[in-house]
Amino acid sequence: MKRTVGVGAMTILLCTGCSSMGVEPWERDVLAKQEMQLTTDEIEAATDDHIYFSKEASSGGRGFGGGGCGCN
Amino acid sequence: MSQKETHSISVALAAATCTLLGSGISATVDAQEEPAWDFNTSLLYYGEDGDRVKDFSVSAIARRMFIDDRYLTLGLTIDGLTGATPSGAIRQDVAQTFTRPSGNAAYSVAAGVLPLDDTFKDTRLALTAGWQQPVGDTSQVSVGASASKEYDYLHLGVNAKFARDFNQRNTTVSAGIALSMDSLDPVGGAPAPFSPMLDVGDTSNRLGDQDKDVLDIVLGVSQVISRDLVVQANYSYSKSDGYLTDPYKVLSLVDGTSGDTLLRSIAPGVDGPSHQFLFESRPGERTKHSIFGQAKYYMNGKVLDASYRYMSDDWEIDSHTVDLRYRIPFGANRYLEPHLRFYTQTDAEFYRLSIPDSLPLPGHASADYRLGNFDAITAGLKYGWRTHNDNEMSVRIEGYRQTGSVPADQLIGNQVSRDNFPDLNAIIVQFGYRF
Repeated sequence: MKRTVGVGAMTILLCTGCSSMGVEPWERDVLAKQEMQLTTDEIEAATDDHIYFSKEASSGGRGFGGGGCGCN
Repeated sequence: MSQKETHSISVALAAATCTLLGSGISATVDAQEEPAWDFNTSLLYYGEDGDRVKDFSVSAIARRMFIDDRYLTLGLTIDGLTGATPSGAIRQDVAQTFTRPSGNAAYSVAAGVLPLDDTFKDTRLALTAGWQQPVGDTSQVSVGASASKEYDYLHLGVNAKFARDFNQRNTTVSAGIALSMDSLDPVGGAPAPFSPMLDVGDTSNRLGDQDKDVLDIVLGVSQVISRDLVVQANYSYSKSDGYLTDPYKVLSLVDGTSGDTLLRSIAPGVDGPSHQFLFESRPGERTKHSIFGQAKYYMNGKVLDASYRYMSDDWEIDSHTVDLRYRIPFGANRYLEPHLRFYTQTDAEFYRLSIPDSLPLPGHASADYRLGNFDAITAGLKYGWRTHNDNEMSVRIEGYRQTGSVPADQLIGNQVSRDNFPDLNAIIVQFGYRF
């Protein structure tokens, strides 16, 4: 329960702080680059998710929890 | 002026123009182009040391862009798996014999050697399909489906995600849901939990096919902080129901004083286990919570990608993962990207090295090292370049190492002096080509 409240409080703080952050539309040249996307290479990210899902007890985080295989 | 400079200026101009016109960067640029396919392909080799698991994998993602920023994405992966994996039984000072998972044959492991099940051989085919499109001026929706088939496993899944931009597209809030409906058809049939490993040909402890359902929910926020910094935070919830036991894993039933596995008597002329082994038993439910945070920071051409994940579940596993990538461009079209990943997890509440005969059976137990207490480190390097016809190639080589330990209060008698949690070392080599 404490954890849920903590997550909620962090989210609200993050969102209220958001309105004063950011860039103007003409300042997006760097952010538009492929290497600045949150997931730069989908296949590499999926490969890593699959390997670590198979070898560790945790999965997901970046996106859905992976899986879809009998390896764990 | 170099081609690179021209490109970055045109990207900046396109970004500014498009956003001023009230639509996303890619939206307007894409809308002016003819529909086209993009491909992202990869070849992967994953190999563990010794005789353990090896995987050769081919993957491709094809994306077709339509007008008005709509995308169709199709994915295909084929895995060829071979090698041996720990069965869960402990080492002994004498040779041990096991019945194969199929129940049709037996195999032996020499004295002092970690028992590995060497029958692991499978081909996996996985398919994905997704559709993404804008909804109004500031939102996006995507829906998808996935399916994968192995010899003993079938996965079917659907997913959907909604994202909305705020604050001049500097803030994006998203929510996603995924449902999986998986079926297990283990070789020889799924064994009843805690049932003993039986003689060759005796399948009286086998159950029929089993099912597993998984619900995943991901809530996320991404935020542009400055011209050079973007961050995201996700909360994930995952609930699994059904047969979560590994049908091929066993535990050794041991003497409560010596810690040695109990011998088993076999009738003359019959093949069967030399010692007493029980098939593992996991709870039929699992709920996981994860918090994930990521930052991408651009520093004069170099890009730092740092992320952290905390996971906690009701099997009492807690884990921390830190992932760091640093992309360093050089020359006109090349880059190097070192990668470091640190992982640590605590053991599941029902993780046991073995089951002593002096105590009553626990409610659940598994000796699967993946539910144990271990740390892991990945270190690697990626080299990427842009070809003369503007396609992208990359190769990465990484090493993965797991080191773990069995809680001291679980070690009985002779187990104290044995290596109960051997290190796992693996190499990952991946070649990527985008065109």
